[in-house]
Amino acid sequence: MTPRTRRLLERALPKLLAWLLLAFLFVPVLVVIPVALTDRDYLSLPNNGISFDHFAALANWRAGWMPSILTSLGIAVASSIVATGVSAAFAMGAWVYVGRWPTILRIVLLSPLIVPPIIYAVGMVRLWSKLGLLDTWLGVTIVHVILAIPLAVLAIGASLSNLDPRLVQAARSLGARPATIFGRVILPNIVPGTVAGAILAFIVSWDEITVTLFITSRGIVTLPRKIWTSIADAVDPALAAIATVMLAVTIVGLILRMTVWERIAQRRS
Amino acid sequence: MTSFQRWAFCLTVPAALLTLCLYVLPILQVLALSFTEPTFGIGNYVALFQNAAIGRVVRTTVFVSAVTTALTIVMSYAVAFALVHMPPAQRRVALFMVMVPFWISVLVRAFAWITILRRNGVLNSALVGSGAVGEPLELVYNQFGVIVGMVHYMMPFAIMLLYANLSEIDHRIIQAARSLGARPVTIFFRVWVPLSMPGLAIASLFIVIFSLGFLVTPAILGAGRVLMVAEYISVQISSTLRWGVATALSTMLLLVVGALIALAMRSPALRAAFEGGRK
Repeated sequence: MTPRTRRLLERALPKLLAWLLLAFLFVPVLVVIPVALTDRDYLSLPNNGISFDHFAALANWRAGWMPSILTSLGIAVASSIVATGVSAAFAMGAWVYVGRWPTILRIVLLSPLIVPPIIYAVGMVRLWSKLGLLDTWLGVTIVHVILAIPLAVLAIGASLSNLDPRLVQAARSLGARPATIFGRVILPNIVPGTVAGAILAFIVSWDEITVTLFITSRGIVTLPRKIWTSIADAVDPALAAIATVMLAVTIVGLILRMTVWERIAQRRS
Repeated sequence: MTSFQRWAFCLTVPAALLTLCLYVLPILQVLALSFTEPTFGIGNYVALFQNAAIGRVVRTTVFVSAVTTALTIVMSYAVAFALVHMPPAQRRVALFMVMVPFWISVLVRAFAWITILRRNGVLNSALVGSGAVGEPLELVYNQFGVIVGMVHYMMPFAIMLLYANLSEIDHRIIQAARSLGARPVTIFFRVWVPLSMPGLAIASLFIVIFSLGFLVTPAILGAGRVLMVAEYISVQISSTLRWGVATALSTMLLLVVGALIALAMRSPALRAAFEGGRK
């Protein structure tokens, strides 16, 4: 082996390997698209032509996909609003009130990121059955609020760490009352983080399955729950159709975020 | 305390009440139940260690988690390393390929793997059709399928953690090694890998913790044939109603996770991430 080919190998091989691994991550997700277009009524690649019937089935109210989408949307909007409000209040309070209490509380608030959701699920089944909140809107929404708080706190906290404390000092020395400082000085400065927190909270609730699985049965069927039962029951191509829709929304969302991000970065520079 | 600080304190109260009453307390109750259900004592824990079925579940969980973590870390490191060296345009495409699976629902990803790995799925059709194998391979509803699905789920997390860590390494060190005549392989193993040890440690810990308590992917891709701890707990709660066993197993899981976190908290970087908020 000449030094030149060796150098080429040392450079090209890791790169090739990385792109193969990236393909392993990305390509399998795309497989739901052709399956959604199959002309058969079982899971398969299209045989004699493509068909959009399985997408049409999603719109059929009685198939249950639309109601579950609306359920998920409702719960996600409600829990995102509550989680964002609570998290913004906490983040602002902890930013001003430095000490042991906010530090400990922050660890507790962030713990759902790490504590396995199955443990929380076991706890909530017990509590909700005692309080009669199993399989109710309120029960699911509260759980989703708790699970969404960590990401909202992180997003809003990141926004606050860029805020100049002298702004608050100036407001205080000019005699602004506490409510004015929080509402009209700090809050307007953390709008981007708060919006990001709200979106993250929405996504957490929209995607949540583990705990929801335990605390709901027939009454509240969120979209993930509907997908879960469909995978377990039968393998219906409508599942591929809903997966395709979710994939498309995710890709559009990501592209939007990337372009918006770049535009903001450009404007700043 | 000034009135301004009192206000700040009050703002932290709603979050505190919510999480204490509806997160911490239910979990503490799980711990308590493990000692009181069905009778008072440590009977549930004795049963955990004597029950052969539970022993099997624990062994499966540890084995699958260990293999998943090892594969995820090696593969993610390869991707993160390449990401750091890519020109910006390529990196944007590569990051996009990482972010799409990251943001798509875990259920969609498990379902996608089922359509690929099933007996008459995409991969087997291709393999049999091309004559590479005579019989369709058993690729799913066994440990192989579970591990593939779990590695696929964990990789984006690991790649992002490792990429953040590798981006912070000072490139002048690498240049110095190169100018002193070190070959790329030497630079990789004697400079890059040692410098990325903190990132590797944190990423591994997170993947181990996620794997040990993972319900969705093992349950779907294992279909009851690869029973891991989370699914076992779920069966005890929803079908056999053995609360004592379920809560004792949950407690053990929580203890293991807690011990791993305590270990991780020794790393200053992770401690800062958790307690930070104010730089």
